[in-house]
Amino acid sequence: MLAQYATPLTFIALGAVFAYSFYAVLIAGQLSLGQAGFASLAAFTAASLAPSGDDVGDVPALLTAVVIGMAVGATAAVVLGLPTMHLRGVFLAIATLGFAEAVRVVLLNLEWTGGAQGLAVPRVLTVGMAWTALAVVAYWFWRMGPSRYGRALEAIREDELAARSMGIDVGRHRLAAFVTSGAVAGLYGVLFAYYVRLIAPSDFDFAAAVDGLVTAVLGGSTMFLGPVLGSGFQTMVPEIQRAVGVEAGWIRPFLAGLLLLVVILFLPGGLTSLIPRRTRVPAAGDGDPDGDAAPGLAARRHPAPGETVVSLAGLSKEYGGVHAVRGVDLEVRGGEVVGLIGPNGAGKTTLVNMVSGLVPPSSGTATVLGTAVGRTPVHRVAAAGVSRTFQHSKLFNRLSALENVLVGAHLVSRPTFLRRLLWLPSSRRDERAALEHATRCLHRVGLGHLAGTRASALSYGDQRRLEIARALAAEPSLLVLDEPAAGMNHVEAGQLSELIRSLARDGLTILFIEHNVGMVLETCTRVVVLDFGQVIASGTPAQIAADPAVIEAYLGTADPDDGEPARGSVADGTLADPTGGGGDGGATGAVTNARPSVAGTLDPPDTTPRNAT
Amino acid sequence: MQQLLNGIFIGSIYALFAIGFTLVFGILDRLNLAHPAVFATSAFVGIELVERGGLSLWAALPVVFVFGAVLGLVIERLAFRPLKNRPDAHFAGLISSIALAGMLIALLQWRYGPDTRRFPAGAFPETRYEVAGAQVTLAQLVILAVSLTLMVGLTYMVTRTRLGRGMRAVAENPTAARVLGVDVDRITAVTFAISSALGAVAGVLFAINVNTAQLGMGYAIELKGLAVIIVGGMGSLPGALIGGLVLGLAEVFAVQYIGSSWRDVIAFGLLFLILLVRPQGLLGARKVREV
Repeated sequence: MLAQYATPLTFIALGAVFAYSFYAVLIAGQLSLGQAGFASLAAFTAASLAPSGDDVGDVPALLTAVVIGMAVGATAAVVLGLPTMHLRGVFLAIATLGFAEAVRVVLLNLEWTGGAQGLAVPRVLTVGMAWTALAVVAYWFWRMGPSRYGRALEAIREDELAARSMGIDVGRHRLAAFVTSGAVAGLYGVLFAYYVRLIAPSDFDFAAAVDGLVTAVLGGSTMFLGPVLGSGFQTMVPEIQRAVGVEAGWIRPFLAGLLLLVVILFLPGGLTSLIPRRTRVPAAGDGDPDGDAAPGLAARRHPAPGETVVSLAGLSKEYGGVHAVRGVDLEVRGGEVVGLIGPNGAGKTTLVNMVSGLVPPSSGTATVLGTAVGRTPVHRVAAAGVSRTFQHSKLFNRLSALENVLVGAHLVSRPTFLRRLLWLPSSRRDERAALEHATRCLHRVGLGHLAGTRASALSYGDQRRLEIARALAAEPSLLVLDEPAAGMNHVEAGQLSELIRSLARDGLTILFIEHNVGMVLETCTRVVVLDFGQVIASGTPAQIAADPAVIEAYLGTADPDDGEPARGSVADGTLADPTGGGGDGGATGAVTNARPSVAGTLDPPDTTPRNAT
Repeated sequence: MQQLLNGIFIGSIYALFAIGFTLVFGILDRLNLAHPAVFATSAFVGIELVERGGLSLWAALPVVFVFGAVLGLVIERLAFRPLKNRPDAHFAGLISSIALAGMLIALLQWRYGPDTRRFPAGAFPETRYEVAGAQVTLAQLVILAVSLTLMVGLTYMVTRTRLGRGMRAVAENPTAARVLGVDVDRITAVTFAISSALGAVAGVLFAINVNTAQLGMGYAIELKGLAVIIVGGMGSLPGALIGGLVLGLAEVFAVQYIGSSWRDVIAFGLLFLILLVRPQGLLGARKVREV
């Protein structure tokens, strides 16, 4: 019974292993076509070097070959990965494809590989062995998915820049994914060689690489079962066609292409979207009133009040002759809430981008939490305790709200992947601690009830709140918010203001840009006004509200804000603020978010902050 | 001298093929892997037109051009438009175009069988010229002339006409283009049509150059096309022209001085080197990442 189907079953397993080598990088958003080259190098090297089955027995010979093959694949991936990891998207695909083709042609022209005739390899692999190997690989990716490492890869796929700002070392993670892919491809090469009896370089050509990619994408590149389903589909379609009597020739490839097209068009997540995806619901410990940081999370010591957190000296940035920021000197001390205001185009976002290390300054120096930013990679700046939100939300859209916040906790949680492979209880504890921490952060911004919702399905205002929760999860000492209240109605903005003040009470230092001047004056301990890239005023809210230079900048005869629709809803009645705080994005945001139901269901923010203190 | 000319002829076909490839990538940021299938299909259709339709070699070219354009519209409609709002449109588009390419090749197999096909005897003019001691056929000259004319025409259209301005606007920012009244869907469709029309003509010219058409001819040129657009710079039209000529010449000389079995190592070694040293290609502009 089983023997009758042994051949297709073995090919399903082999195809799935190969597809996993694509899945390994697709999950991190990388498109590589070099796996055929890795598999080819591994297959030929292992087949030549491994001892013969007659001397040591078939299975030990295969195992030795597997070890050699995976080592060769991983090594080749390191050698290829180091110079190419800065390439993105299609460029990486083509560079790796070039590598694979070069490998193929070289192997074809070498003596020991047998050239075009190929290399004879004994058939050792049985269907059971193939499925065992597949099970091991699938297990690896199954355990990887919900680990800290797996989430970091997903975050890189969704938004590389945001992942960097959350403290993820993108280069290292991408290389790790690539090397995993190389090792798995090497495994495939060896298994394939020990099954088909004769390997030739043309077994690992461009068409083979495309097949592997198609299998992985068809199965679905966001869930670990995808490659298995994809390979089952790819292998069984011709088998079934043969079984029902469809003649060979043109009809088979035509139908295979048609089915592939239908799947890709109508099942966006690949075949795995037929499997309902379980959304992880937060554990019961969400309301935990425990005051201290949970065990399993790294604690951070915030700078004492008055200690220097940010120190900018003569900081400037120009873009091709446009001076976005000109000679800004600024000190921010521990526990301060500094609001950065100014008309559109005043250089506010450029300034905070320099503070968080995303944009290197043209001149001047910036020291943030003891780190010289500009020369330090973004993830190191984040590790020093800087966390931020973005003017245009940069969420990990296909992840749930809770998963977004879990990625935010990357820096304070412990790596769990290797321990998850061994089912160590400590990894469960650490995951649980991270989960509880993330849930607390969600509750703190009032999104506890939306933990399982995809980030892309949230309303605009909720997305802004989720970004804040994600930034908070990193336990930052300096929190940088870029227009956090854009798109919020005045009730929500009031709650946000209260949240910011409560964070400051916890010892955080906060630097935030906001167009809603009323809210800024109400929230901040100090306000800095920027115009044309220069600081034109700095002082307490009361001083700023009375400063003629500020009023001039906002209301002056050639007011750059004039054309904007004034929103005004918050500032009205809170202060004698002449501008009403128009903001870019404010008009659309106000419309999408003016849902009374949302505002009504939110907890009053002052009941939650105690949880995280 | 003979090698130089051969390199230029084959290079101009590579360039014409690659320019269609790079047009879609540069403007729409999509890699259309059905392009090589269009190339192969058109070669067969071209031969059929000459053989059965009784058209002369030259009259077949405009017909194939139109045929390619229609095929491009179909590809856009079936494989790309339904995916345009998906977060993974990049990967999904690759796969759907691969699927469509497989279907096209299967149809070819149904219509023409698996064998190699040739133009009927007597389809080629016998005229030959001698240029600086090298033999050149009239057909080869026409190949060069047609390729260059189409590429110059395309460059003119993209840089000077209203349609080209629309294309460049879409390339820069599709959303902004739509807001400003550019019909993005129409521009997308037209881009695919032009791209495929060029690929189709390249297919026929290739078939004329070597007087064969095979089902697998798309695969070989697909890799070369990718190499050309990387070497020239993704999305750069003059880059694709230069890249195509460089590759054609490199191949011809590699065969002569190193041996035919190492030919492809040269091409891919060159490709790899360029990617490492200058990822944006010879003439490509580096995209600035936005925050």
